[in-house]
Amino acid sequence: MAFFEPMQKATEPRHWLGDMEADHYFYGAGVMGQRFFEALRDEGKLLGSRCERCDWTYVPPRLYCERCFAELKELRDVGLRGRVKAFTVVYVNKQGEPLDPPEVFALIEFGPNITPFLHKLGDAPPERVHVGMVVEAVLKPPAEREGKITDIRYFRPI
Amino acid sequence: MRDVAIVGVGCTPFRPLTPEVNWKELTFQAAVRAYEDAGIDPRRDVDSFITCAEDFWEGFSIFDEFTPDQLGAVLRPMHTVTGDGLLGLANAVMQIKTGLCDVVVVEAHSKISELLTFEHVVELAFDSVYEAPLSRERDVHPYYVAGLEMQLYLHETGTTEEQCAAVVVQDKQNALLNPLAPYGTRMSVDDVLGSPPLSDPLKRLEVAPRADGCVVLVLAAGEIAERLCEVPIYIEGIGWCSESPWIAARGAEALYAKRAAQMAYEQAGITNPLQQIDFAEVDDRFAFKLLQHVEALGLAHPGQAGKLLLDGMFSRDGELPVNPSGGCLGAGDLIEAGGLARALEVVLQLRGEAGARQLPDVETGVALSWRGVPHGTGAVAVFRRRS
Ligand SMILES: [Zn+2]
Repeated sequence: MAFFEPMQKATEPRHWLGDMEADHYFYGAGVMGQRFFEALRDEGKLLGSRCERCDWTYVPPRLYCERCFAELKELRDVGLRGRVKAFTVVYVNKQGEPLDPPEVFALIEFGPNITPFLHKLGDAPPERVHVGMVVEAVLKPPAEREGKITDIRYFRPI
Repeated sequence: MRDVAIVGVGCTPFRPLTPEVNWKELTFQAAVRAYEDAGIDPRRDVDSFITCAEDFWEGFSIFDEFTPDQLGAVLRPMHTVTGDGLLGLANAVMQIKTGLCDVVVVEAHSKISELLTFEHVVELAFDSVYEAPLSRERDVHPYYVAGLEMQLYLHETGTTEEQCAAVVVQDKQNALLNPLAPYGTRMSVDDVLGSPPLSDPLKRLEVAPRADGCVVLVLAAGEIAERLCEVPIYIEGIGWCSESPWIAARGAEALYAKRAAQMAYEQAGITNPLQQIDFAEVDDRFAFKLLQHVEALGLAHPGQAGKLLLDGMFSRDGELPVNPSGGCLGAGDLIEAGGLARALEVVLQLRGEAGARQLPDVETGVALSWRGVPHGTGAVAVFRRRS
């Protein structure tokens, strides 16, 4: 077996730069996603799908229950208000540079027996955020909504 | 069913950069060492080869077609597991237990230094409709998910930031005695707590730095293992489990690891882990993960691991040493090779070949892997040196 002198620079030996061509997929919304995003865009509502057998609601809605594997048909409006279950204040971007101002991500619970929902918090100084804090979704104005998860700008404390 | 034992191990040192070899040569180096250690010729003696890799880490699509030549596996049974190395190990165990194969080779590697957009690939693992757009908007670092999970774990268990910081101190100190580990150093809890926050409460020094490296293990059926080597290390149990993939579904407990451990323990006849296990090697890509994983293994009650760590229970001379190798924080985040790196340390310790970091009188060790942010997949393997 050959042993090699360690090199100091990764770019010292001959190398080639390349890309993984992964930027050009499209991802379909699916049956439940279609209804979720239409309700968000057109009515400003957040929908979940409920499993009657498990008494459990999924937000965003899914076509199936991951607990009992039933097909779910019942959609319910879970409202725009919830409580912070967990949160984190992010200080860096993907390059490791400072994010100014920092971004706050949170898991939000709309009520008992509902899966937590991942989104961002806004209008909230990081030092004021706490578990259990009541927050509500701030939506983009109707004319600006596109039927995307970012139609919710963030959740703010109330 | 037949017993399965590890009869050969080979690896490269783990390092931040490995520009002098390409990824195939890196694998070749580790494979040659493993075959030498087992005393086998891969062209003659191996019935099946398994690589553990994922296209996006490698920069190839259909990466599994690129695996045979550097392992001596051309024109032989070979397949790829898209997951952590311990999942490949589980496949090897099954191939031998069923009688399909007698000798099987498992390989996993990291050449992650050649991926220039690591954080973007991690984000691409998020749900593309509901999750990724949230961090993409402001180019947020995807490890915010680890910060979120850490906050949940601390809040619900009462574990403290000091206890998490102490994990880093212990790992990096253990790594000083491991010649394979690149990130050994002496530091204090204050050094860790004072390092810049990445995603509060997660600090930068609590994130395992990435490393390149390769690990190859040779497995054989019990009767062959006894013939091939003096100290076969038996795989007494192996389990794996996946949680719901949704980031928002993750709880304070590492349920994937707990279920994987239950599966492995049942096969190994382990009913009282604290009594029956001598040491553990667990994934700790983020410091709090060591504590969460130790609890999932049943080696501490939920929320107690941090306190027990400060009491010295998991240090090299403690009652139940954890990560004598230095773990991911000291030896590096080896991506899909992480599980085999943990297994390698367990095997070296059980063989009595761990050099300056050798633990005294160890018979049973356990390895635990986790696939990393944002996933909830883990695997657990129980290894024993039979007297
Ligand atoms: Zn159900």
